[in-house]
Amino acid sequence: MRKQGPSQPLANELDEPAQGRKTSRTKSIIRKHGLQNKHQKKQRLPRRHPSLRAGLAVIAGRAAGALSRRLHLGAGTSIVGVVAQRIYPQIVEHLATELEHGSVMVTGTNGKTTTSSFIAAILRDGGLRVWRNREGSNLMRGVASSLVIRAQPNGHLRRAGRAISILEVDEAALPQVASVIHPRIVVFTNLFRDQLDRYGEVHSIVTHWQRAVSLLPPEATLVLNADDPTIAQLGASFEGRVLYYGVDDLSLNLLTQQNASERHQVIDTRTCPQCGSEYSYDVRFYSHIGHYHCPNCGKQRPQPDVRATQVQLDGLDRLRIQVTTGEQQREIVVPLPGLYNIYNALAAITAARALDIDWEPISSGIEQFKPAFGRGERIQAEGKTMRLLLAKNPTGFNEVLRTLFSDATPRHMLFVLNDNIADGRDISWIWDVDFERLAGKTQTFVVAGTRALDLALRLKYAGVDEEDMTIIPSIPLRVARREANRTPRQIGMSKRGMRAIGQAIETLEKHPDKANDTLIPSTRMYGLKNALEVALNQTPVNETLFVVPTYTALLEVHHELEQRGLTPHYWEGGDT
Amino acid sequence: MIPGFTQSLTLTLGHLYPDQLNLYGDRGNILTLRRRCQLRGIELRVVGLGVGDALAPDEYDMLFIGGGQDKEQAYLVQDLYEMKGIGLWAAIEDDMPVLAVCGGFQLLAHYYRPAEGPDMRGLGVFDAWTIHKGPHVARCIGDIAISWNGQTLVGFENHGGRTYLGTAQPLGKVLKGYGNNAEDRTEGAIYRNTYGTYLHGSLLPKNPHFADYLIELALQRKYGEPLVSSAESVAPNGTVHTNIGANGSTVVELLTYETSTQLKPLDDRLEWEAHATILERLGLHSEATAALRRQKG
Repeated sequence: MRKQGPSQPLANELDEPAQGRKTSRTKSIIRKHGLQNKHQKKQRLPRRHPSLRAGLAVIAGRAAGALSRRLHLGAGTSIVGVVAQRIYPQIVEHLATELEHGSVMVTGTNGKTTTSSFIAAILRDGGLRVWRNREGSNLMRGVASSLVIRAQPNGHLRRAGRAISILEVDEAALPQVASVIHPRIVVFTNLFRDQLDRYGEVHSIVTHWQRAVSLLPPEATLVLNADDPTIAQLGASFEGRVLYYGVDDLSLNLLTQQNASERHQVIDTRTCPQCGSEYSYDVRFYSHIGHYHCPNCGKQRPQPDVRATQVQLDGLDRLRIQVTTGEQQREIVVPLPGLYNIYNALAAITAARALDIDWEPISSGIEQFKPAFGRGERIQAEGKTMRLLLAKNPTGFNEVLRTLFSDATPRHMLFVLNDNIADGRDISWIWDVDFERLAGKTQTFVVAGTRALDLALRLKYAGVDEEDMTIIPSIPLRVARREANRTPRQIGMSKRGMRAIGQAIETLEKHPDKANDTLIPSTRMYGLKNALEVALNQTPVNETLFVVPTYTALLEVHHELEQRGLTPHYWEGGDT
Repeated sequence: MIPGFTQSLTLTLGHLYPDQLNLYGDRGNILTLRRRCQLRGIELRVVGLGVGDALAPDEYDMLFIGGGQDKEQAYLVQDLYEMKGIGLWAAIEDDMPVLAVCGGFQLLAHYYRPAEGPDMRGLGVFDAWTIHKGPHVARCIGDIAISWNGQTLVGFENHGGRTYLGTAQPLGKVLKGYGNNAEDRTEGAIYRNTYGTYLHGSLLPKNPHFADYLIELALQRKYGEPLVSSAESVAPNGTVHTNIGANGSTVVELLTYETSTQLKPLDDRLEWEAHATILERLGLHSEATAALRRQKG
C-alpha cells in the first residue's frame, strides 16, 4: 500500500514553518514499519487512482456527517467513517499510512481514555501533532471517522507531517482495527469484568487480544501491565519488543490492610493460563492486580521495565510517584487521585519511552494534564465544586470508592446508574461493589438513573440507611397515583416523565380500583435534572459534590450542565 | 426473633465456589439472605466451599451455587462430582433448600454441551440438559419476569446455553423474556427444595418473597414444623386473587403459595418498588400493581 499510496508528505506540510526546532528529535522517532512485503502480497488496493477513490470517499463521508448533524440525527461522527468505507473500503489503511509517526493504540477495560490522554499530552509537549479518536468512538467506524474528518477532498490527510494518532480502541474491536491500521505501539491497561451482556465472558476478550497480537507486525511494540496476569501473558507469544510497567511500592499492598471490605473484591483472573493452577499473590494492589506467581509451574509476574517505586497519595488532587527505568529515577506528579491512575500514568510513560520521548515532555505532559471527560473532571457551580468520577464496572467503582472514602471525611455524593446499551444492560455487577465502605460516611446522598432503585437497594443492603438517601429514578411508575396527582411543572418533569404521568392518569380513569395507595413515597421526584438540582442544593457552598455516573449517565450529566452553562460541549473539548 | 421460640436461631449457608462462580453479582443473594435473617434475629453463618472442600450435608441448612465463566466451570465440574457430589445429593434428597443460579443451575442438570469440545457432565439433580448452539445463536440477554406460585419473580438473564427440561418441573412460566431456552416459556427447574434458575441481577434482593420462602424452608427443616404462626402475620392463604390480564380479560389465579407466615414482615417498600419497576419496563402493568398491592398487605 505504501508503494501505491502517496508516501510523500503533502506540499503544505513541507511549507510549515514550525518544524525547525524539534525536527531533529522527532525524526529519530521515525521507524518505518517495513510492511511493504505484506502489502505487496495482498494487493488490496485497486491498482489505479487510489487517491481519487479516497478523495471521493472523503467527500462522501464528510457530506454524510454534515447532513446527519444538520438533520440532528446525531453528532455525525460514526456515519463519516461508515460512508467513506462503503465507497472505498481501504480508506482507513490508505489514510493511516500517511501519518508520519504512525499510530499508538490503547485498549483494556479501564483507563483507556485517561491513558491515551496522558500519552497525547506527553507527545504534544514532545512536539508532535497528536490526533485522537473521539471519546466513545472506539469501534472501527469511530476510528475510521477520526481519520476521514481530517482528510482532504484530494484523498490525502491534512497536515500529516509530524502527526501521530493515539487511538483508544474497544477491547473487542482491537483485532479488526489493528489489522487495518498497523500500530507502532499497542498499550494494554487491564482486564476486568465489564458489560458482560456485550462482551460475553471475560475470557473471550483474551482470545480477541491474542488474535490481535498475532496480527501485529514484529516492528510493533507491546506496552503491557506486568501486574495484571492476563495482560502480562500477552507478551509471551509476541516476537517483537515488549515493555512492561508495574508498581513496586509495597506499602500499597491490600493484603496487609486489615479493613475487611478490602478483602471482598472480586477477582477476574485467578488461574494460570499455562497449567490452570490458582495464582498466589505476594502483594495485591486491587482486584487481581499485584505481584503474583503460579505455585505449580512457576510462571510469574515479569520484571517491569518502568516501575513506580514509591507512591505518595496527595489527597484527592494528586499523586507523586517515583518512576524508575533501569538506572534512572524521576519524580512524576499525576494531577489525579486513585491508585488506578498510577497505572494509567505508568502506561503512558512506558509508551512515551518506547517512542524515545525525553523525560521533560513526559513529566510536563502528565503534570499539566487536564482530566479527561468525566475522569476526575472538576466543574464549579454556584460556589460549589463538582467532581465527576466515571465508574462503569465493579473494579472501577471500587477504586473510586476507595479513593473517596479512605479517610473519615464525610462526602456529598450523587450516584447515577443507567443501564442503556453503552453502559451494559446487565447491572448485576453493583452487588460486587464494596458499598459497605461508605455506609455512614456520607453527608448527603442522592441516587439516580434508570436503575436508581436497584442501586438504592444495593446500598440498603450495604447498610446505608434509607432515610439518608434521596432516590430519584428516571421515570415514575405508572401505578404511582400520588405522582399522577401532582402537576408536572411542580416537579420539573421531563417530557418522557410527563407522558408517563399522562398514561398513569388515563389508567386511573379507566381502572379506578388501581387508585389504591401504592406505597411509593409521595415526595418521590424523577429525572436527572431533579437529581442534579437536589444534590447541588444539598451541598453547602465551598464544599465538593462527588458525582459518580455510568457512561451514559455521564453524558446526561454533561448535557444538564451544558444547559446551565457550566461546561462546554464535550465534542468541542481540547482533543480534536 | 420468631414468636414462640426462645432459643436463638442459627442457620448455616454453604456457598459453593464463591471465588469461581461469582460472575453475575451472586454475592447479592448471599447479602440478602444474611440481612433478612439478621433482621429477624436469626444468625446466618456463610461458609464458602471451594475447590477441594468436601460437602458434609449435616453441617448446612441451605446451599447456594452461582454462575461463572465456561472456562472456570469446566475446571470445577470434576471437583463438584468428586468432592461434593454425594454430599450434595444427600442434602437435596433430605429437602435442604438449594438455590442454583445460571451456571450453577446448568451444573445441577445432566450435562452442558458447549459449542465446541466435550460435554460437561452435571450432577443430574434436575432432569434437564443444556446445549450451547454456537456463537451464531444469540445469547439470551435482558430483563425477565416469570410467574411463580401466583406471584412474579423478576431478574436479568444472560446465558448462551439453552436448557431443556425432561421430567423436571419448571420454576415458573415466562411472562416476558427468554427463560430456559427461548422456546417453551419455561424458566428454571425445581426438584424437592432445590431451585435452579437463570434469573440474576441479583435474584433475591428484588424478590424478597422468594428470599423469605427459602429462609422459611430452612427454618422448618431445621427447627421442625410448623412454626407457630404469630398474630401479627398476615396469611392470605387460598384467597382468590383477581388479575386484570394484559389483554383486558380477567384471569383468576388461585394463590397456593402461603405468604411468609412465620417470618416477621419487613419494610420491603423499596424492594417491591424495584420489583414493580422491572415489571413495568417489561410492560406488565397489572402485575406491577399486584406486586405493590401485595406488599401493602
